[in-house]
Amino acid sequence: MTQKTILHDRHEQLGARIVDFHGWMLPVQYEGVLAEHKHCRTGVVVFDTGHMGQFLICGRGVAAELGSVCTQNAQALKVGRSRYGFLLNEQGGVLDDTILMRLGEEEFLLVVNAGTLESDLKWLMSHLTSAVALRDLTASGWAKIDLQGPRAYETLAPLVTAGDPGAMGYFGVGRYQCLGRDCIISRTGYTGELGYEIMADGEDLVAIFDKLMATEGVKPAGLGARDSLRMEMCYPLYGEELTPAHTPLEAGLDVFLPSDHEFVGWEALQAQAAQGVSRSLVAFQSASRRKTNPGDKILFEGNEVGVVTSGGFAPSLEVSAGLGYVAPHLTQPGRELIVNTGRAEIPVTVCEKPLYKQGTCRRKDVRG
Amino acid sequence: MIPQGLLYTNEHEWVKLDGAVGTVGITDHAQSALGDITFVELPPAGKALSKGDEACVVESCKAAASVYTPADGSVTEGNAAVDEDPSLVNSDPYGQGWLYKIAFTDAGALAGLMNAEQYAQFLEEQEH
Repeated sequence: MTQKTILHDRHEQLGARIVDFHGWMLPVQYEGVLAEHKHCRTGVVVFDTGHMGQFLICGRGVAAELGSVCTQNAQALKVGRSRYGFLLNEQGGVLDDTILMRLGEEEFLLVVNAGTLESDLKWLMSHLTSAVALRDLTASGWAKIDLQGPRAYETLAPLVTAGDPGAMGYFGVGRYQCLGRDCIISRTGYTGELGYEIMADGEDLVAIFDKLMATEGVKPAGLGARDSLRMEMCYPLYGEELTPAHTPLEAGLDVFLPSDHEFVGWEALQAQAAQGVSRSLVAFQSASRRKTNPGDKILFEGNEVGVVTSGGFAPSLEVSAGLGYVAPHLTQPGRELIVNTGRAEIPVTVCEKPLYKQGTCRRKDVRG
Repeated sequence: MIPQGLLYTNEHEWVKLDGAVGTVGITDHAQSALGDITFVELPPAGKALSKGDEACVVESCKAAASVYTPADGSVTEGNAAVDEDPSLVNSDPYGQGWLYKIAFTDAGALAGLMNAEQYAQFLEEQEH
């Protein structure tokens, strides 16, 4: 059974091509992936991310409890800030990658992936005590859109009727009103550009979406551009770079593993850190436009040394690029490898992350 | 929309015959279904192809498709312009976005292909 987001009719009116994504009918593109990708890098686009889960977690001692199940140190997280991290199994494998937002002293919002929503919910319920309350806001009609691009702030600001999201730094979060409607806005995204995720009740979000679509210069963007944008930034995609068989250390995401608290999977990661990983995630790009595909073998001196997890044309780089796991001694930038697609052998070069370096997401004074 | 004077395959390729040499491309329907085309693998000149062989691969942002050979022959030229700028296949599929030229062993073997009216009807039937 595929589900529709609250914006489904809008996508059809906008001429979107719709695909099934983890059981959700979502637009893969409107006018075209390349145009949408470029518009996000230079202007501003809106993504429907209503398929993603939003869990409101509240109660006495909630920070301590969340700190023991999420890699994010919830107790150290300041109100009005958010942090990227993981739900791990006991072996340190990734059950999901999430953003934990602190809305109040005892109130958190955890944003999770669509494909793992149900398993996350079960896992959290089994790990949290009855002292805290977990509410799946998406089940009660909440939705989300992502406004992304260098022009995101100037586009959003006129719609905001209470508060000023321009005061937020990267990964800030707070309660605002848009068009007089309550919403939560975070300065986060999945594109590398300045941007905001706007969470609100579905009906309110439709009104905000309509207003954005009526704004000069704003275009809708689909999953195709979302994927090429995040790949250029080397952001992992759950199910590809991250799975229960991969740890954050292997994915090179050590920076999101604070050492100041213990969480589920912590011991396994300590052991892995001491022993050293047996594979590491690298970014690569090719001199040609020919793309690699998830599952393609990575070769070095004729031997299989790894596997591609994400591959495709990188519109901002104008060449094919990707991510993949390779043996740890082959990760230095400049290392030349071969990707075997089954049809062709494509020479690729390991690159520093991110592949696209001009992103505006960390811009300091967004109010200009 | 569908140009007259070309022959069409049910794999959404078109062939323009000039004597025994055919110019081959993909139809507007095919380029639209693929979306933004980012790479085209062209056959080298001189390559012998048999009917049904894969002649080219066309990659788009989210897909890849094979282009098949309509009849036996030998490749005379790949379109260097689409190698340089694959978006030509999207913007001008029947013109500058042609893919390759092939000298057919027997151009009579193309007799089974569709004309513009037949292809239009074929597309309509496929949609239902």
